[in-house]
Parts: sequence; structure tokens; C-alpha cells
Amino acid sequence: MTIDKKRLNRMLNPKVVVVVGDKGPEYRWLSQLSEFTGQAYSVQLDEKEIPGIEAKGFQNFKSLMDIPGEVDLVICAVPRQIAPYIVADAVKKKVGGIQLYTSGFIETGEELGAQLQGKIATMALEANMPLVGPNCLGVYNRHLGVKFAGEQEQGEGGDVSIISQSGTHGTSLSIGAQRYNVKVRRGVSIGNAAVLVEADYLDYLKNDPETPAIAMYLEGIRDGRRFAKLLRETTPKKPVVIWRGGRTRAGARAVKSHTASLASNDAIWSALMKQSGAISADSQEEAVDVMQALVHSPRNSKRNVALIAMTGGQSVAITDQFEKAGFEVPELSAKSYKRLSEFFNTIGGSYRNPFDAASTIGREADNLAKILDVLADDRAIDGGCAIELGVRNVDKGTEQLDAMLDVMRKYRDKTKLPVLALMPEGSAMGGAAEGLVTARTHVARAGFPVYPSFSRGAAALGRVATYWAWRDEIRSRK
Amino acid sequence: MADVIASARAEGRTLLTEVESKQLLAAAGIPVAMAHLAPKAKQAVEIADEIGYPVVMKIVSPDIAHKSDVGGVVVGLKDAKAVRKAFKDMITRVQEVAPNAKIHGVAIQSMAKQGTEVIVGSTTDPQFGPVMMFGLGGVFVEVLKDVAFRIVPLEPRDARQMVREIKGLPILQGVRGQEPADIEAIESLILRVSEFIAKHPEIAELDLNPVFAYPDGALAVDARVVLTSPEAAS
Repeated sequence: MTIDKKRLNRMLNPKVVVVVGDKGPEYRWLSQLSEFTGQAYSVQLDEKEIPGIEAKGFQNFKSLMDIPGEVDLVICAVPRQIAPYIVADAVKKKVGGIQLYTSGFIETGEELGAQLQGKIATMALEANMPLVGPNCLGVYNRHLGVKFAGEQEQGEGGDVSIISQSGTHGTSLSIGAQRYNVKVRRGVSIGNAAVLVEADYLDYLKNDPETPAIAMYLEGIRDGRRFAKLLRETTPKKPVVIWRGGRTRAGARAVKSHTASLASNDAIWSALMKQSGAISADSQEEAVDVMQALVHSPRNSKRNVALIAMTGGQSVAITDQFEKAGFEVPELSAKSYKRLSEFFNTIGGSYRNPFDAASTIGREADNLAKILDVLADDRAIDGGCAIELGVRNVDKGTEQLDAMLDVMRKYRDKTKLPVLALMPEGSAMGGAAEGLVTARTHVARAGFPVYPSFSRGAAALGRVATYWAWRDEIRSRK
Repeated sequence: MADVIASARAEGRTLLTEVESKQLLAAAGIPVAMAHLAPKAKQAVEIADEIGYPVVMKIVSPDIAHKSDVGGVVVGLKDAKAVRKAFKDMITRVQEVAPNAKIHGVAIQSMAKQGTEVIVGSTTDPQFGPVMMFGLGGVFVEVLKDVAFRIVPLEPRDARQMVREIKGLPILQGVRGQEPADIEAIESLILRVSEFIAKHPEIAELDLNPVFAYPDGALAVDARVVLTSPEAAS
């Protein structure tokens, strides 16, 4: 079928939303619409539930057909046997689209589940009606306040949009991202993808001017060839991060060639990643780490970095991790060393790159400013700067930390190079655990990619640099 | 070209013989060491006389996927007498090991000059359709699985990366005084196969194993094409 793009657009950007079959005491779906900027209604037949719905301030109807005017999005939360009737009403009502929170379909492995899914899919396909799911959490729209998890933010902006085959991971990616000040513009938990498949959502986001980057959680792909083609078309326009979960077994296929016997699912996925320039992630935290580096760093593909750690041991550890991630830690120019020698405390410190800087930076941001001034002028550094941030006194106020962040921001604005804030556990300058967690959030809100270990910061920046290098290459060929 | 596929289909076969496979590939501009079908010893000698000695003889049977496993490959046949004897021995040997295999005869081809062995192949992924593989031949592919995959269609950069992705790359670049292999020729062969596969959805699997990579050029010495099963094709 061809997806009706106008209807899909209505569904993903709804002005009128109807929740069918929400239940107390939480009234999850209606509650999640508390910040919705449009008009929301309820459809519920159960007399026991209606007072609770009305107490929440939603007008209730006995049928979808009774709703006045057009409906853009139906959120269906009824039991599976009822679902076909709701889908039939949605078809009749010519709604934008419907999402089925309802589960118990093909994922059960039961005959009945498969039959019911086939039935609703056929109804939607024949009517050309977009259907999300079933067995999904559906649509999140930041601007409009349509949410599939209560913690999702409502407001302006948008750095990344998310497609997830798992509702849990759709939630974990969006909550994880927003915790680090990465604004999720849209999200779709796609469930069993009976009608709309991965490629349909990717196609939408590819062309969505409000989606600067895309993150996905995928297990398997339906319509893989179309997906692969779309992915190749998307990555030259915007970065795509793919976290693949599960290892689908190829099954016992009778193969007659060497090639077929070696073509594991992993091998083909890895080929897809390389060919498309998508950024692969192996876990939720890797995906969020990469999103932070993408969103909170200037675009940069170069790999000569300056590393500023607080102690000698950490200056070795940070260098190991960045080199492992494919970075160079070059020596600076003679001129830089001369300037550094004028103020740098070399008793208990050093400035070769990496920097062992605690004795120089101490509690004042002034010397960090001087170091970063020198680095900004040194052409050996073209990949940016990673700084171990000490937050020992953050419980007494953030002035000191803010002064450091200002200095870091000035460097970033001047050089247009990435600046990572590394705030590892158990570091000599790290301070107490509670303070560290608060401080990381504070640093993220100030607009810096922040990581709880050197290795995670290095790996994330490495992947992002690889993407921009790939993109430079693609563009130079065209 | 379509005839080879059509006749295999008509006989209900999915495995093409080496002779058939090479006809298809040669027609697509892929460099292969041509193999000529000889149903009887007499033709085998005639072909060998014409292409020049020494020659290689291989069994031709749509029922045998791995020829060397049944003693179906003999190399370095120096004259007509050797060819005649090898033919008789091979047919007897294969009939013993695989009594139910239908035998078309043998294929005669020139002894290709030894080069660095690489493998180029394709298969059909259930999610993403046709994909291609590149690796060094022999132990590198079989034991170390040192191979690189890409999804068809390939762009020139994909072929370039595939060749450079394998751990055995230094072997192609020339170690211990060996001349480097013609990596550009390998890349171009990979891209031609990608084009060929993209044009022929009826091909399910393909092995060019080995391909000899020379300091100047590359040549597929053995080839095996497997068609999609008729149900999948219809």
C-alpha cells in the first residue's frame, strides 16, 4: 500500500486526539495529554470509568462516531477483541490515523492474535488509514504535548527524533536524551508494525524539517531493501544513530555457497551501517552518549585533541581512551609551550598534552582560560578539547563550575571545535557522588556533552567525528 | 545468456554447472577462466589440444556443489594421453562416491597462472536482499572468516572499503618481497558482480572461489551460481 502522507502528517501533528478505552485509577493516556495544546476527548462505554474521566476534565463520548468534527489521532487502549470495532469506526470517521496500545496480537505467537492483527491491518490498508502498532506506545510530539510517557517534555525546540520497535526503549531513549539536555522533537514506538513499518517512519523523519537528527532502536526490519535505500538517502542530510537489539538467528537455511554460509545477520547489519554512514550504538547509554556529542558539539571531523586531566594518573587514563577511540594527542607548538611556561605550575603538573592541571587550575577559572587561549591559537589542535571537570565544592554552589563552563564556552565559540566535559566516578576532584550527579545535569543544561567516564566520552566523540568525516567525503563526491 | 537460466529452470535445477556459470559471468564482462564442456574423452582431448597444455579437468554435474570433495578436480594435465586417462579415472571415481549424480561430462580449462587467492561472492539476505562478500581465499575465509560484506548495489567506495577492511589486506599489498596484487582490478570485478547481481534477481547465491589476483588484473578461476528456488521466483 502507499501510505497517505497527508493523513500520516495529521496523525503525527494532531490538533484533535481521542483516547478510546482509558482506564482508572491512573487514566494513563488521558493523563499524558495534560499538556496537550489541542483538543482531547475520551470514548468509554464503561459506566464505572466515566466519572473518573470527567473528573479529569475530559468530555466523554459513547462512540468515536459521536465526536464533533475531525479527529487527527485515535489512541486505542481497548482489549484486543474490541480493537477491530474501534478500527472500523476510525475508518468510518476518516480520522488521520490510529495507534493501538492494545496488545495480544502476533507477538503472542497464538493463532487468534495473528488473525486479529491480520484483520485490523487489512481494514486499515483498504482504507489507506495510517495505523501505528499494535502493541505499541505510539506517538510523541514535543511541541504539541502528545506523549507516550508521562516524563516526556512539552515545549519548544527539537534536536532529535526517535523511532523505536520497543516501547520501553522508545521511553528510555527519550527520557535518557532529555536528561542530558537533548530535546526530543518526535518519538514513535512502532510496536508490531502491522501497517506502518520502519521505512515509513524513516521516510517521514528524513523529510521533516523539524528533525535535525534521528535515533532508532531496532531489532529486525520489515521491507529491509526500502529501509536500506532510505537510510542511504537520509544520512547525507542528517545523522542517524541506530541501536540494534537482539540477534535474530538466520535459521537453518540450506545454503550451497561459502558466501551464504558466512552471511550472518551481524555481518549484514554491519555492512548496512558502513554503507549508509549511520552511527551504530550497542546500548541505550551509547545511543544517548552519541546524541549528546552530536547535538552539543560543533560539526567537526578532525581528530587532534587536547586533553586536560586533573592529575597525572588521569592524564594517562584519558590519553589511553582517546587514542583507543582513534584520536591523536599531538604535541603543541614551541610558542604554545613558551606561553604555558609563563603561568603553568609544573610542580605536580605538566602541560605537554595531555595536561595534568589540578595544581594550575585549582579553584579558579582564570588559569583554565589561559590554557584554553593557548590551545585556541595552536593549529595542532583541530579536534577540540576534553576536560576532566572537578566539582569538589559543587554542594556549596555552582559559581565556580559556572565560571569554568563560561571559559569552555568561549573556547568553543572561538574555535568552533567540540568541548567535552568528563566527570568520572571516583576522581580525586570528583567530589561526593550526589554532588557529581547534580553537577553533571548542571553541565548538560549549560549545553555541554557530559560523560561519566573518559572511555564513554572518547567513544561518543569518535563516532560523531567518523560521521562528519563520512559526510564530508559524500559531499565532496557530489 | 537467458538460455542457461531457462534450461536449468526447465530441468528443475537451481545449481548451475561451472560451465554454465562462467558463460553467464563472461557475458556480463566479468573476467573468468573459461571452462569448456567435454561430454566424452575425445572432446576433452580436442579442447585441450586447442587451448594448449597443461590443462585442468573438473567434473560437470548439476548435483555436485563441491567438486574437490568427490575427487572431481585434476590439475596439470600435460598431454592428450594424460587427459584421456584422467577422464576415465574421474568418471569412475565420481560415480563411486556420488552414484546418483547426473554427470554432464568434464570441463577443460587452461591452467591459470597462480595468483593471490581471493573470494568474491553474493547471497540473498532475508531482510536486505542481495549482498556481496569479499575475502582472501583458502584458510582466511574458511577458518578465520576474514571477510567483508556490503548490500547490493555497491558504490565504488564500498568496493574500495571492502578490500581494505579485511585483516589480510597486507597480503594483497605484498609481503616478503611479493609483488602487490592489482587491488583496482579486484574492486572493478566486485563492482561488475554487484551490477550483474542487481540485474538478475533470479540469482540467489554466487561464489567466485578462487579469484586469482595478479600484479596486473584478476581472474575468476572457479564459479558457482545458484538460482532462486522456482517458488521464490514466481
